[in-house]
Amino acid sequence: MSPKVPIRNRLNVVLQMVTVLITAILLGQLWLFTITLDAMENTAVSITVALAATTCSMVACAAVWMLIRFFLRTERSEAGEHA
Amino acid sequence: MSSSWRQDFPVPSSEDSYVTRREFAKFMGLTSLAFFAGTFASAMRKLVLRFMGSPSSSVAVAGIEEIPVGGYKLFRYPSENDPCILLRLAEEKFVAFDQRCTHLSCPVYFNAAKSELVCPCHEGFFSAADGRPVAGPPKRGLPQLTVTTNKAQVWVRRSTEENA
Repeated sequence: MSPKVPIRNRLNVVLQMVTVLITAILLGQLWLFTITLDAMENTAVSITVALAATTCSMVACAAVWMLIRFFLRTERSEAGEHA
Repeated sequence: MSSSWRQDFPVPSSEDSYVTRREFAKFMGLTSLAFFAGTFASAMRKLVLRFMGSPSSSVAVAGIEEIPVGGYKLFRYPSENDPCILLRLAEEKFVAFDQRCTHLSCPVYFNAAKSELVCPCHEGFFSAADGRPVAGPPKRGLPQLTVTTNKAQVWVRRSTEENA
């Protein structure tokens, strides 16, 4: 990226990309939550479904925090370069 | 006077609700954590209900002669908070269901003329034979109980499917 582009704008682009990814993951987590709620109320649904949804939600949560960590690391390194 | 006031309150009112990138990222992370916590809690509740639920012991809920063909009886099983309905569809055919509609838990009643269970709240209809939804907003069938007759009495217990 051109050094002429202000650091604030560059970080905003990274944040936008991270935000889009995280939003998609959050929507997925919301869907998993509804599946588990349905499994809780509907006795015909197997417990395996609820456990699988919980595992996927945990992985998604870890992915969100990794993305946030990636963003913060990028922010720190960008700030370090321009210090 | 004006400048001292600005020194005391250096943040302009327009920036008072400013959210930093870090705060925003933290909010998204915590939202994700909340979703996971909700999913985990729901799954654990299902797990607990499965393993800690009351054993499926049979309970006598009515005498065979007590209910005429086309009649019904309300009872509570397995606890006082679980309303159920026992139907006599034919001379030898008894069926029992959870009385709470699977839409929004309104109690259903038996319409013997049409042989269906009706939820009066939102016009939900279930088949009296097997509890499957036939019309209206409910998407899931009524949970069915296993019914047996013995010693002139009608016995119910949780169905095997429900315990699984």
